[in-house]
Amino acid sequence: MQTADRLTAAAAPGPAAGPRSSRGRRARRGLRRLATAAPFVLPSLAGVLLFLVVPVVIVLVLSFFQWNFLTPPHWVGLANFGTMTRDYHVFHALETTAFYVLWNIPVQTVIALGLAVLLNRRMPAMGFFRALYVLPYMATPVAMAVVWGWVFNAQYGLINHMLSVIGVHGPDWLGGTSTALPVVAMVNTWQYAGYNMLFFLAGMQTIPPALYEAAAIDGASAFRRFTRITLPLLNSTMLFVLVTDVIGSFQVFDTVYVMTQGGPGTSTTVINYEIYSTAFRNFDVGSASAMSLLLFGVILLVTFVQFRIFRNRTTYEVS
Amino acid sequence: MSFRALRYTAFYACLVLIGAVFVTPYLLAFFGAFKSQANLFASSPWSPPHSFYTGNFRTILFTDDFLRYLGNTALTTTVLTAGQVTFGVLAAYAFARLEFPGRDWLFSVYLATLMVPNVVTLVPLYTMMREFHLTNSYWAIVLPYVLGSPYTIFLMRQYFRSLPSEVFAAARVDGCSEWRILTRILLPMGKPIIITATIIAFVFGWNNFLWPLIATDTNSMQVLTVSTAALQSSFSDQWNLVLAASLVSLVPLLLFFIAFQKHIVKSVQLSGINR
Amino acid sequence: MRKRTTRTPLRASPRRASPRRVALAGVVSVLLMTAAACSSGSSTSSGGSGGSGASGATVNLTYAQWTTPESTGYQKSIDAFEKLHPNIHVTLENFAYNDYQPKLTTEFSSGGGPDVYWVNTPMIATWLKDGVMEDLTSKIAAAHIDLSQYIQTLVTLHQFNGKLYGLPKDWDTIAYFYNADYFTQHHITVPSGLTWNPTDGGTWLTFLKSLTYDTSGHNALSSSFNPNSVATYGSDSPNEMQWGFEPYLAEDGVKLINQTYAKTVSFNTPAATQTFQFLTDLMYKYHVAAPGSDLGTDAAANNTEDQTLFAKGKVAMIEGGSWEIAGIAQEVKFKLGVLQSPAGPAGNWTVVNGLIDSINAHSPNQQAAWELEQWLGSPQSEQIMGSGGYIWPGIGSLDPQFASYWSAHGVDVTAFETESKWNTVYWPVTPGMNQAQLDIANLLAPAYLTGRNVGAAVDAAAKQANNDLATAG
Repeated sequence: MQTADRLTAAAAPGPAAGPRSSRGRRARRGLRRLATAAPFVLPSLAGVLLFLVVPVVIVLVLSFFQWNFLTPPHWVGLANFGTMTRDYHVFHALETTAFYVLWNIPVQTVIALGLAVLLNRRMPAMGFFRALYVLPYMATPVAMAVVWGWVFNAQYGLINHMLSVIGVHGPDWLGGTSTALPVVAMVNTWQYAGYNMLFFLAGMQTIPPALYEAAAIDGASAFRRFTRITLPLLNSTMLFVLVTDVIGSFQVFDTVYVMTQGGPGTSTTVINYEIYSTAFRNFDVGSASAMSLLLFGVILLVTFVQFRIFRNRTTYEVS
Repeated sequence: MSFRALRYTAFYACLVLIGAVFVTPYLLAFFGAFKSQANLFASSPWSPPHSFYTGNFRTILFTDDFLRYLGNTALTTTVLTAGQVTFGVLAAYAFARLEFPGRDWLFSVYLATLMVPNVVTLVPLYTMMREFHLTNSYWAIVLPYVLGSPYTIFLMRQYFRSLPSEVFAAARVDGCSEWRILTRILLPMGKPIIITATIIAFVFGWNNFLWPLIATDTNSMQVLTVSTAALQSSFSDQWNLVLAASLVSLVPLLLFFIAFQKHIVKSVQLSGINR
Repeated sequence: MRKRTTRTPLRASPRRASPRRVALAGVVSVLLMTAAACSSGSSTSSGGSGGSGASGATVNLTYAQWTTPESTGYQKSIDAFEKLHPNIHVTLENFAYNDYQPKLTTEFSSGGGPDVYWVNTPMIATWLKDGVMEDLTSKIAAAHIDLSQYIQTLVTLHQFNGKLYGLPKDWDTIAYFYNADYFTQHHITVPSGLTWNPTDGGTWLTFLKSLTYDTSGHNALSSSFNPNSVATYGSDSPNEMQWGFEPYLAEDGVKLINQTYAKTVSFNTPAATQTFQFLTDLMYKYHVAAPGSDLGTDAAANNTEDQTLFAKGKVAMIEGGSWEIAGIAQEVKFKLGVLQSPAGPAGNWTVVNGLIDSINAHSPNQQAAWELEQWLGSPQSEQIMGSGGYIWPGIGSLDPQFASYWSAHGVDVTAFETESKWNTVYWPVTPGMNQAQLDIANLLAPAYLTGRNVGAAVDAAAKQANNDLATAG
């Protein structure tokens, strides 16, 4: 899932311009440099413009129209945004997505952190287990969702089979409005916990052992060492993992499409699925465009909030 | 057993148990795919098949045309990866090591696009493909991604910037062309990150679902993700077939992972979050 | 880092060569992609392909429908058609009902799509607006097709602004399928002239009570009836529009929309709330109908859960439409009967519906498609469908053939026909109705699952439905 890997840090500014010279010569040098760089940059620039920038502009424009791909679009002004506020679909989809994020992110982060703590040792076979736990990351989400659908199948699935062994009649996991969404969230947690663990591991390995030794000498317990040293120093890693995971969970689609198709009822219709459904099953392109802009705004807001929360945390001085 | 040995055993037992959670779905898919339908429903899910029933794969690959879908996926993913890495390396090199007016501003534009959720671009891309009569072609599946991905460009650019500048300066002083510098110096030095970018691109292409779902609606052009989803909805009871289909997608990536797992693990560190 | 063992001379590789090398890499990549693209499939989606229709050349038509037991009958009809028209070959395409409209619309939007395709009433308004349904009025006139042979209400259903878009080929009404063996076992005679009302349920409620038995053998009329331990419910109350609540709403004087192409729904009234309260009371107050959760999380039988309950003997009757009879007869092991729906405060009303085959306005095979259309609406084809027991034919004079097929198989289907003479209401025709229907079901679900807050549910459903109709333009 490329979206889960996206980094949001801004680019560092480049070095200052070359030595002073007359304007003409500088301009010519600039032009020459452009000419040199052009073949390197142009292909990807064409891609970014054509397939990222231009589509965003088009969506902006389309949100003011009503269109169904078949007949010519016609202008409706802000009507799509207006109906969006009255439409129970949109509110419900956002609510469902929020629940999904709440089910998914805390659990995933805690598990990833826990796994990292477990594997952050100099003991044999750590590398093996590290690779093993990352294995789910390489599963095609669609194919894995199919397998999980099988695992949670009410009659033949592994989960209910195990429950029946101990005499419990397992529920219809994917057919119950209160169980379907947590199951979908759990599938995604399973898939990315190991991958996130790697980030935490990398972060932990930059913490100098001297800090821990000093704290141990001072009598700090393992738990205190974790909360007072490890966690604060993982601040930037935590921010990265949380931001990418939240952005990623707002875009969950494959698992929902395969396991529940947005159901039962509308209990797993997350915003991404709602937008897809509006555009490509109801053929209401204007509404779908307005909704995507809304999603874009929500993601930006959530990311901004996360940055604020983590920016003010203190970090320790490392001598 | 001494207390220490006990703790060790308990620790590793824990790790193995956790590992089992991560591995079981693969195992279940593997078991299920090799059982006939009757056997699948008669036996418990975690029992291995008595004999390896290959009928499911014969049906999937030939009757249900998954061999073709496998080919589609392999082709589009390879092309997508080749393009994304090639053009990405070029762009990353330019942003990292070349100086030209507007470079940093342009790079921020690339970064800004990372915030755009993929669903926003779906409808416009679909419309564009339709206008140029490219829907239901390999072009459609590959085009939006083949010219480079801002994320991998960013990763590579960060890495290239961290390479010692003296080497490049010396090469330029010697009169090497930028192309030569790229091929003779950058590529060997940047191998780890380039491999990372290749892995990311390949996995992305192989797993891509939403865009191919929209861009193709004829059967012959489907990729594995789309055809697996379609199979599951039309043969919802025949789990043996459905699991066999998902294995067709999962196994190549599994092999890929086993071959490159060291690089995958390293790629996280190379993402440079702690730089 | 690789060590350079030789120093390159100052002029050996001029900088000007570098852009060319880079461009070369780009060209190679493009060639690679072109090679890939050259082996790609066609860029147009499936649709009416085939020959030019010139005499002698075979024309290939695609005929789309959703999956029903009728497909067998249609294949027979197609076979007969191909014998009469050896230069036309027809391929039947089947889709799951939920995918039918989206998939076809996608095909239409890229200029393709099947040549001839089924149109169900909720799909009409949208496809008409999209311009994918060919106006057949002049063709029908030129071919001197006698429209009076069809049941008139079906012709009206498919006419818009005086134009007709297909020949009516079938019809259906809503009644109750009952378990005749169960009736015999409990000495229940099939009644007639039952009525329901929202106050006390009327004679219909009494009848349902006589059908509902608990595990100790008491029926719901007895004082020792245990509603917590019901063995068989009298009936069901499905959260379905066409064959669930629409007939009851009509019998209480409520129309879902006031006229075709209405922009707002008209069921946000006290009478509607009353009706829904009655329907849910059957489940939760009187315990004579199976609880909504037995039909799914939205109390709607999307996957024929009602037929499953019926076949298992958990309900004595289910509300349903005549098109379901072939499927139900195959599934149940008991003797099947059809019972007339009760009358309501506003008299006898039912929902009448029928399908047409539409010709794709963008099909390149207009002439061949018209041949197929004529055939499917002809007495010969409708007779194949009717006498095979698949569906009531749209040509009124052929209806007895459907009835006699089923009476030969032990099922008396005259109730459907009787109801067709009642006051009828259409399944609503207005743009956006397909989406509105889904939303109405989702928003009524809480009421159907608990029997509480019915008024609020109706309100929410009506509001969302209005939204859907408004946004559909």
